[in-house]
Amino acid sequence: MAKENYQIDKHEDNITEHDYDGIKELDNPPPRWIMALFYITIGFSIIYGAYYFWLGVGDHQDAEYAKKSQRHDEKYQMVSLSAADLAWLTDDTSLQEGKTIYNEMNCFACHGMNGEGNAIGPNLTDKYWLNGCDFESIFNIIKNGNPAKGMTAFKGQISDEKIQKVASYVHTLKGTSPANAKEAQGEACE
Amino acid sequence: MENQKFYYDNKTVKLFILATIIWGVVGILVGILAALQLAFPAFNFGLEYTTFGRIRPLHTNAIIFAFVGNAIFAGVYYSMQKLLKTRMFSDRLSKINFWGWQLIIVLAAVTFVLGISTAKEYAELEWPIDILIAVVWVIFGWNMIGTILKRRVQHIYAAIWWYIATFIGVAILHVVNSFELPISLTKSYSIYAGAQDAVVQWWYGHNAVAFFLTTPFLGLMYYYLPKAANRPIYSYKLSIIHFWSLIFLYMWAGPHHLLYQALPEWAQALGVTFSIMLIAPSWGGMINGLLTLRGAWDKVRDSAALKFFVVAVTAYGMSTFEGPMMSLKSVNQITHFTDWTIAHVHIGGMGWNGGLVFGMLYWLIPKLFKTKLFSEKLANIHFWMSTLAILIYAIPLYWSAVTQWLMWREYTPEGYLAYPNFLETLTQILPMYTVRILAGVLFLGGFLVMSFNLFKTMTTGKVEDNEAAEAPALVPAGPRNPVQETVHRWMERKGVRFSVWVFIALVIGGAVEIIPMIFIKSNVPTIDSVKPYTPLELEGRDIYISEGCYVCHSQMVRPFRWETDRYGEYSKIGEFVYDHPYQWGSRRTGPDLGRAGVVGGPMYKNAAWHYNHFLDPQKMNEQSIMPNYAWFAEKDVNLEMTPKKIRAMQTLGVPYEEGYDQKAIDDYMIQAKLIVDDLKASGIEIEPTKQMVAMIAYMHKLGKDISVPGDSETTTSGEAIKENVELLSSQADLDAAKQIFQTTCIVCHGSDGKGIATFPSLVDDEWINGNQPEQVYTSIANGNVAKGMIAYKNQYNEEQITQLASYILLVLNNENSK
Repeated sequence: MAKENYQIDKHEDNITEHDYDGIKELDNPPPRWIMALFYITIGFSIIYGAYYFWLGVGDHQDAEYAKKSQRHDEKYQMVSLSAADLAWLTDDTSLQEGKTIYNEMNCFACHGMNGEGNAIGPNLTDKYWLNGCDFESIFNIIKNGNPAKGMTAFKGQISDEKIQKVASYVHTLKGTSPANAKEAQGEACE
Repeated sequence: MENQKFYYDNKTVKLFILATIIWGVVGILVGILAALQLAFPAFNFGLEYTTFGRIRPLHTNAIIFAFVGNAIFAGVYYSMQKLLKTRMFSDRLSKINFWGWQLIIVLAAVTFVLGISTAKEYAELEWPIDILIAVVWVIFGWNMIGTILKRRVQHIYAAIWWYIATFIGVAILHVVNSFELPISLTKSYSIYAGAQDAVVQWWYGHNAVAFFLTTPFLGLMYYYLPKAANRPIYSYKLSIIHFWSLIFLYMWAGPHHLLYQALPEWAQALGVTFSIMLIAPSWGGMINGLLTLRGAWDKVRDSAALKFFVVAVTAYGMSTFEGPMMSLKSVNQITHFTDWTIAHVHIGGMGWNGGLVFGMLYWLIPKLFKTKLFSEKLANIHFWMSTLAILIYAIPLYWSAVTQWLMWREYTPEGYLAYPNFLETLTQILPMYTVRILAGVLFLGGFLVMSFNLFKTMTTGKVEDNEAAEAPALVPAGPRNPVQETVHRWMERKGVRFSVWVFIALVIGGAVEIIPMIFIKSNVPTIDSVKPYTPLELEGRDIYISEGCYVCHSQMVRPFRWETDRYGEYSKIGEFVYDHPYQWGSRRTGPDLGRAGVVGGPMYKNAAWHYNHFLDPQKMNEQSIMPNYAWFAEKDVNLEMTPKKIRAMQTLGVPYEEGYDQKAIDDYMIQAKLIVDDLKASGIEIEPTKQMVAMIAYMHKLGKDISVPGDSETTTSGEAIKENVELLSSQADLDAAKQIFQTTCIVCHGSDGKGIATFPSLVDDEWINGNQPEQVYTSIANGNVAKGMIAYKNQYNEEQITQLASYILLVLNNENSK
């Protein structure tokens, strides 16, 4: 051990007499910047407290939410389809997009990959419909859902335009008779 | 002064070292399994014992308490004897400490796999094991204090200050957080509920990080780093300042785990500010470590132990800067519920704890076995594997965190969530999870290289179980000499007094936060409509707890628009008053379930969906990584326990009527029957006592008690619908109605019914919801919440509502429209 004695920088360090199992301690002051950092963080905390509590300038989270939510609503004016637009789409692009939406939104979880239906959701490929046959009815059931029966309301999740596309896509499934199709439910639509 | 002869106990140290290595391998292996499960759900093996919900707590507990815990004991038992120039106080206590701790670990592993869990993060163990932990921990402390008292050294060195803080800190945290009401050997309920439980739990959780993963390691650093580098500690003053400031401030910072959640604003602010104030005290430790290496950096090149120490201390510095930044509310909304926190803790765990343990073992084992390290080269290989693994682990997860957060909050130009399907945001980050597996494997590889190296080293040397040493006896120095001795220096030779001050510094923060949460009512504003769990829902909740669903699903919708659009109304403090324990969660690997029971809300799924989803989540969502829970349809709820559970809840203050425990089973079956019938309508046959039924009931309870149905267009169940309303035209009826109208309705509709501001007039011919008696009745009864019309069916009875409808149609509408 003797030859491995500490090499102490005599100009900077004051060695204390402390010796613990051979560990010595120097009497250096803590670096000034770390003390400064400590005081700054204490200052920050006081200002933080003043801002949110003693002066009451800062919004608490309820108020913050209300404000931000209002700004959100002003920024996005949710566009609803006008009554005139409520009609089946037939162009390929829209139907293709409708199919993508059908998959993205997990419609298949309840209605099957090909609209055949399963234990949860009804068959979409036969001519029987539970909630009406025309475009408006189908648009409405997708948009507003029927939660008690298990149909999710999608109005907060996808736009009217997308609902129109997926409704149109579903409409094209009619008569495709996929495998494992669920039995008919609801009224017959001709 | 004549030297006294004594013997160091090296055997206990050796045993703890072996346990550290063995449990380290186990802990990392389980971690890799958990990582595999997240990327490839097939690794849940379709068995209830190996689902992620059970494996993840096993991993965290194995690493924290088994690997790190044994390493702490090894390091402390060795260094304390050397620093105090004495054998440990009692061989018997050492032995109980060692074997007791191993017993706890084995019991923990077994119970987690069996689904016995309290579902409080890092405190998942059930009450008998909690008691065992407390006993073994006190034995450790007793042994330690005893050793301090019989020391042969005048002053207690800084390393031991940290050991003392560790013992006292963990004891306080563990005891306070573990107050629970047992109902059987394997089941108990936290005595705290909801927001209170959350505060206690994160005061514990955060300080488990502080007093199990930080303070003991700073103690180890103060011994092993200067020993291995053979350099003096840079600053004794800094040691003092950062010790006291760190242990005092740490205890306050817990609520930073609950920012933007259902917690009083003042508690959140304490969490933020005390975390920020922790930067400098934490860095004090890093600086004292790194500056101790001044003039010894050439040694770092040649010594794997020192390399590990440098990485450890650097990782510590990074984590303790990152942590306070994550405690700022604006940053926290990104890091909370994402993988950021996971990356953060692994920098701490693999870098700081791992690095320090590895460095310590590479230095200590040759010393203990009086030999040289078998291969410095292998140690260097381990060093690079380990360091690289940390980077490969952390970077992808930071990436994944930011990606997922951005996706959660992205809106389309029309104002809809761009990724309304939660799963899309998870699928996007799955490649990162695959990379993480590689990091785990690399880290394990390095660990095995180390184990090989260390076992080889052990075989070339021999440990002296009882190593002879001598030192002069301690002569008490008497009262303080104010000229030569600072107060602190004087305290350093007063072990008990020192410990008492540590205790005081530790309890203040916790007391200031926890006591008001429990005793000041205004901190937990109650909500009248929030009802206790029905027996069926309670049983479902216990399954949720036992399966560890909280490790992937939060139940806490934060007040951000992008969360309320996705999940529903943000969570309120008063909603959780019956939650023993709270289940807010900390990571959303799956979507939040806080509003899963709100009919008409975006998270609601019907019974048949839940049934099919529990049986096979991948059938419902091909890319889902949720394990299947097929046994929910097979296993029965133990109904014998139900009345006991109800009584336990009553003891904890849940207001079930007296004697409800006797009616609980009847109610259970009635509610279960409804779900069974509902499932039957979808062609699913199930018995009412199956776990599945209880789980569905619990899912349908979540968050519904304060639910605001989003829209009146949707028919929600339980609406008052009345056919053939006969108007009541007697003067008495109309007078009664007028009185209600004048006290209640005029606020919006005006005293003459003409409507105020945007609220509709009741006297013209335009009717938003129709002017047939039935329609008016329905409007009053069910309201139109979206438009501001309150549902009055719970405030007025049928007769009163009929009277009101009559008054509106016969008097107001008649009189004024003419």
